[in-house]
Formats: sequence, structure tokens, C-alpha cells
Amino acid sequence: MFNMLNRRQILLAGAGAFAIPMLRGFMRAEAADGFPNKTMQVLIPTGEGGGVDQAARAFNRIWSKYLGANFEYSYFPGASGQVGYEVFVSKREPDAYNILFGNIGPEMIMYATQKVKYKYPEDFTYIGSMDVDDSVIWVAGDSKFKTIGDMVEEGKKREITLSTSRLPHPSTIGALALAEATGMKVRMIPYGGGGPARSAAITGEVDGCATFLSSSLGLGEQARFLTVFNDTNRAPELTGNAPPVNQALGTKIPPMSGQRAIAIHTKAVEAYPDRVKKLSDTFQQVFADPDYKVVAEKAGTPWEFIQYGDAASCRKSAAEFVELAERFRPLLTASKG
Amino acid sequence: MNISFSLLADQFLLNFSYLWLIIIATTIGIIIGAMPGFGSANTIIMLLPFTLAVDVDVAMIFMVSLFVASHMGGGITSILLNIPGNGGSAATCLDGYPMARKGLGQQALVLSFVASTVGGMVTALMSIFLLPYIARLAYYMHSVEMVVILLFGITLIASVASDNMLKGLIAGFLGLLIGAIGADHIYSTPRGTFGFIELYDGVPLIAVLIGVFAISEALIMMEQSSVLSEAGMQMMKRSGWKETWEGVVMSFQRTWHMIWTGIIGLIIGIVPGAGASIAAFVAYQQSRLFSKTPEKYGTGIPEGVIAPESANNGCASGDLIPLLVIGVPGGTTAAVMLIVMTYHGVQLGPRLFIQNPGLGYGVFITMLVAYAVMLFTTLPLTRWVSKLVMIPTPVLAPIIIAFTLVGAFAPRAYMFDLWLTLLFGAIGYLCRRSGYNVVALLIGVILGPMLEANVMRALRISGNDPWVFFSSPVGNILWAALAFSLAIPSIVQWRRRRAAARAAIV
Repeated sequence: MFNMLNRRQILLAGAGAFAIPMLRGFMRAEAADGFPNKTMQVLIPTGEGGGVDQAARAFNRIWSKYLGANFEYSYFPGASGQVGYEVFVSKREPDAYNILFGNIGPEMIMYATQKVKYKYPEDFTYIGSMDVDDSVIWVAGDSKFKTIGDMVEEGKKREITLSTSRLPHPSTIGALALAEATGMKVRMIPYGGGGPARSAAITGEVDGCATFLSSSLGLGEQARFLTVFNDTNRAPELTGNAPPVNQALGTKIPPMSGQRAIAIHTKAVEAYPDRVKKLSDTFQQVFADPDYKVVAEKAGTPWEFIQYGDAASCRKSAAEFVELAERFRPLLTASKG
Repeated sequence: MNISFSLLADQFLLNFSYLWLIIIATTIGIIIGAMPGFGSANTIIMLLPFTLAVDVDVAMIFMVSLFVASHMGGGITSILLNIPGNGGSAATCLDGYPMARKGLGQQALVLSFVASTVGGMVTALMSIFLLPYIARLAYYMHSVEMVVILLFGITLIASVASDNMLKGLIAGFLGLLIGAIGADHIYSTPRGTFGFIELYDGVPLIAVLIGVFAISEALIMMEQSSVLSEAGMQMMKRSGWKETWEGVVMSFQRTWHMIWTGIIGLIIGIVPGAGASIAAFVAYQQSRLFSKTPEKYGTGIPEGVIAPESANNGCASGDLIPLLVIGVPGGTTAAVMLIVMTYHGVQLGPRLFIQNPGLGYGVFITMLVAYAVMLFTTLPLTRWVSKLVMIPTPVLAPIIIAFTLVGAFAPRAYMFDLWLTLLFGAIGYLCRRSGYNVVALLIGVILGPMLEANVMRALRISGNDPWVFFSSPVGNILWAALAFSLAIPSIVQWRRRRAAARAAIV
């Protein structure tokens, strides 16, 4: 029944797991004259074990092959990601060894709606994105809502409650835009994390959950996907063929997606163009590596979501989210509940 | 969720074949559990290269063993040095340390280990056989119910402060105020952070724990030559295997106490976001409530050690249930386990128990084996570990300060946290010297933010209708229980006074 390991295999696996990356890193550092010749420092502005953490670890397993460096992780969650960005900008050396793994959508909405001490793009720049994850609304498997139309109809009679990990999130804006377009009433309930938000919807504390699709795919029959905030549903077989929102309701809501991306200090872009080029080039190489498909799927991201984005597309996406956040600012901030 | 004898036997055999790994994992777990600032989540993250490299069964055996051991280890320093290894063992200080000062540190350690084992094993067994029903509890424990449960814990402020109610309440409210520092739970608006980004995520619990307990305790120690009283020192000098056996007997004389406080931990652990610290404080409060001698709590009685330790370990079983049954991690360690399980392609949620029941139930079998292993490895150690308190304080205090400051720095690597720890050390010292109860302060710091988050969430869901707090049947039962638990000490006191008055007349 079990593929059991004997003691020697375990010890070898353990020793190998620790020693091989160290040895490889050491040998590469010796071989290369230039960048990178030390461990890359990864700052994650959300908690350990979260979606970004899993995606970053999967990506970096392959990236380390091309970049020739190992990665060390630190986590600075809090205030919807603000803590991590503040720490990155103010306390990390702008030397291109320090990189931030974040999610453009939620974190640019946070930037636009919270009082932050840093400036984008003066202080940091996204140099590449690794996936596109669409916002969705789903309900518990035993919910009375079978379609998004059912929820909208009910929402015209009473306020629908939707859990979300944090208010500054594309899925929150998606739900609010949906309410604006259809006349339904919706109240977003932030739970301070994806896990508690999903749990609240499954256990019936709220009517449903607005979140990114990939984080909810593992829920199986416990979740019924009602709609996707994009023009097409890129994972129909995993979501019970949930319809795109505009197709289902005839609305014109823009896509509400998150893009997991890496950022470095803008000062580093200016001071070390060669390092940034190496980071960007090797970052792009990962997508052609068949091993990446294996590890990305193991980390819970369907391959359909994996999509390379360059610095320009990240910049465009960031600007769009700032604009969207400005539009919904009163509903996302304490100025109006 | 079909369960069969052969499935369980298979899992037992698998775990026994990895006994050596369980011994390693539990040893690491106990050590990091006893060290403030080092938790199971950080450790498992550091060891990810190992857990990702081996089979998922082996990885789970390793992680679960380490996880439960860290819950058990937290009580060691709480008892011997009045320094909780983590929030879950803070309540153990209340009676554990007074026992150690009396020279009963060895018995207190045994009580802690046996209670942890019984609490952990009973709840693991319940999880195996009643999993669908226990998992269902999460469907009835929402923000409203959590508010009432947290209030159970917060009422403990009044209990621990009974010597000087006013000072105790001041300390408790100061703790609640400190707990309110940080970004608010709805809009992430910073409050009371004085512009320090390091405080946006709230005051770090480790800095408060280490400052208020470890640093202030070390400063107090420096004013005396020994942690032990004169009589306590004599007892410790004479102590041998007999004291370990005494501890075992004391524990099993309170078997039912270990069981029901462990179940409290299990129930609280099931709620995502609730943790061992709430479980331990609520169990201590309940233990005191139903005691015939509540006035003895805080003076060093066995029940005061058993209740938080059993609940703390019962919570470990509960913590993993949402992860396995719903696919949603209940805490940070469970979130890290999720990384490993996802990496190995394990489908969590109800399908886990259909597709891979061995792994689902195997988690609880690992707990049973790990607790059994720990009991046999830790009990003999109590004889020597308890001698720690005999080290002269001029040597012990600087070691405590040095080690715990490393622990304060380790989780976030901020110099700011070191200064904050020292500040809380000074606050703790002043509180102790002026009769303000530091445990009351800590209860406020730990439970305050959780209470606020749940109150805000419940109000937001209801559209700011305060009646939401009385809108659920389970919540209303809990309110009634809370009212009962608040009223019962006064009723008991009134009956005693009446009985005494009658006796005087006769």
C-alpha cells in the first residue's frame, strides 16, 4: 500500500535535500564571476503557506536552475500586504538580490486605497509576472444558489454576504461592480486570510466567497462556482463550467484577475541594468521548462493559468488596478462602509 | 468516511516502522516548543526540503509528530521558569511556576506531560472515530459563537486578579489596549502604531510573552539567590524517581479532568483562526469554575497545570481537522502542511477520506504514537530537567535574557522587536513590583485582537445589528453558560456564607 522508504533512503533524501542545493549554489557561485554570487532574498507580503508562497516556491525551484542561485524566504504579512511592501522598500538593499513576490491586483488596490509610505513606480518595479488567476464567486456545495442569476435575484431582495480574504482585492471590486451593474445588494466580509474566508462560505456563515479561482479549486464538491470575472473561463472542467459574468448577466465588468509577479527596487533597475536583465531573461526561461509544469501543478496552479508577463504588461496591469481602486475607493475604505 | 480495523492497523504498523523518525521529530518539537519565539510552523518551513523530498506519508509522520511535540514542550519553561514557550502554554505559568517554586517542579512537569499525552490521545481517538461529527462542529462555530468563547477566556482576567481586583482589571484593560494596536480588521487602517510599520500587524505576541514573562522574571530573579523557596530547595535536593511516580499518580487521580479539558481544546481547535492560547485559557477558566477549591488556583495546584496543558494538546487535534476534512488550514502550521500535501498531489477535503483514507486517519494515528513515544522519552527526563531551577539565579537570569532575546528576534528579524521586548520587560517588571497581574495583561493582549476581529465581523455580516450576538441557538446556549459561569462563584460564596452563619448559630 505504501511506497515505504528504508532508513538509508530517508537519510539520503534528507541529506540530499539539504546538501545538493547548497553544493550546487556553492559551485555556481565559484564558477560565475558576476551576478548572482549569493543567495537571493525573497520577501513575501502574505503569510507562509499561502497561495503566493506556494507559487513562489514552485517557480523558484526551476528558476534557480537558470539563475544559478538559491532562494531564502521571509514573510511579512499584515495590513493587506502593506507591511511587506513597506519593509521591502525601506529595509531591503536595492541590489537586485532582494526581490518581492507579490500579487499585482490585490497589492496595487491596497496601494491605491491605504496610506502607504512608498511610491509606485518610484520605489519598486514589477519585472515579470508568472500567472493570471481570475476572480470568482462561489457558494457552498449545498447552497440554494445554483447560478449567479439566482444570487443576483436574491440580492435584490436582501443583502448578500460574501467572504473575502481582504477588502483590497480584485474579487471584492468584481463583486461590487456586479452589484452596481445588476442592482443587487452585496456586503463584503474580510476574514484576514484566504483559509478563514473559504471556511466561512463552506460552513454557511456567509452566502458565498469572492476570491481567486486557483485557491478554491481544491475544495471539490464543497464549492459550487457561480461565475468567473473574465471573458472566458479558463478552467471549465474544474469549475462546473461556471459562466463568465458578462456572458451570464450581460454586464460589462472588466476582467478581475491577479497576477503573481516579482518586483525589485526601482533604484536597482537603474543601478544594475545587467542584473535586472539576467533576472528578467532567466525568469522568462522558466516558462519553457517542462519541469515547471509539473511543479506548478503540484503547487495547485492549473497550467492554464500559467502565463508569462513582461515588465510592460505588469506596468499596464498595475495602472489598471490603481484606476479601478480609485473608482471603488469609498466602498473599499473606512470613509464609507 | 469508512474506517476499518485493517486500515488503522496498517497505519499503526507504518508509524511503528518510522519510530526512529518520530523520536527525532518529537525531540525537535519539544525543544522548539520550549523556546519562546521558535514555533512548529517556522521549523517545518525550514525543513521543507526534507518533507518535499520524501513520501507524503513519511512527511506527514514527521510534521505531525513535530507539531504535537511543540505543543507539549511549551509547558516546560512555563513551569520551571515562568516563561511560556508559546501563547498556548501561558496559562500553565499560573500554577506550574508556583509548584516549581515550592520544590514540586518535577511533579508539575510530569503533570504537564501526562495531561498533554492524555489530552492529545483522547482527542486523537475521538477524531478517528467521530471525525464526521466533530468536523460538523465547525459549521456551528462562527464569529458570534467565537465572541462568547473568547469572553469565557477574558473573564479569567477577573479570576486571576482576585487578589486585587482593581489592579487586575487595569492590567487586563491595558492588555486589551495593547492588543488593539495595529491595522484594523476590516479596512486595515493603522491604529496606535505611532508610524512604526513593525506594529501594523499588531504587537508581536512573542515580544510581549518574552518581555512580560522572561525578561521581567529574570530581573526579579536577580533580586534573589534562587528561584526556589528555602523549603523548595531542600525538597529538590532530595528529589528522585519517587517524585516522578508521584506526578504520575497525581495525574491519573485527575483522569476525567484531563479528558474534559482536552475536549474543550479539541472543540476550540476546530474553529479556523482560534488557537491553543484561547483553548488553554478557556480550559483553565472552566477548570477553576467547576473546582471545589477555586481559591487555590494560582497557588500551585495540579488542576491548574492539567487544564491548560490538556486543552493545548487537544487543540492540536482540532487544528488539523479543518485541513483534512474541509481542505482549509486552521492555523499557520496546518497551512505549511498544506504546502507539503499539495506538492505531493494529495487532494484534501472529504475526498481525502475516500481516495486516501490511510493518510487522513494516519494523521491521528501518528498523534497517538507520537504522544506514547513522548511520554516514555520525557517522563524519565523530568528528574533532571526539573533541576534547572536549582541553578543559582546570577547564572540563570543572564542565560534566560540572552536566549529569549534571540527568540524575540528570530520570528521577524527586526531589531525593533528586541527594543519592544525590552520595553515589555520593563513594563512587566514594574507591574510585578507594583502588584499588577501580568497574566491579566497577557490575556488581554492575546485574546483582545481575536475578540475584536470576531465582533467586527459579526457586526458587519449583520449590517451592524447588535442583536446578531443573540441570533444563533449555539451562541445563546454559550451565552447562558457564560452567565452561569459568572454567577456560580457568587452563588457558591453566598451558600458558604449562609452555611457558616447557620453553623455559628448552632
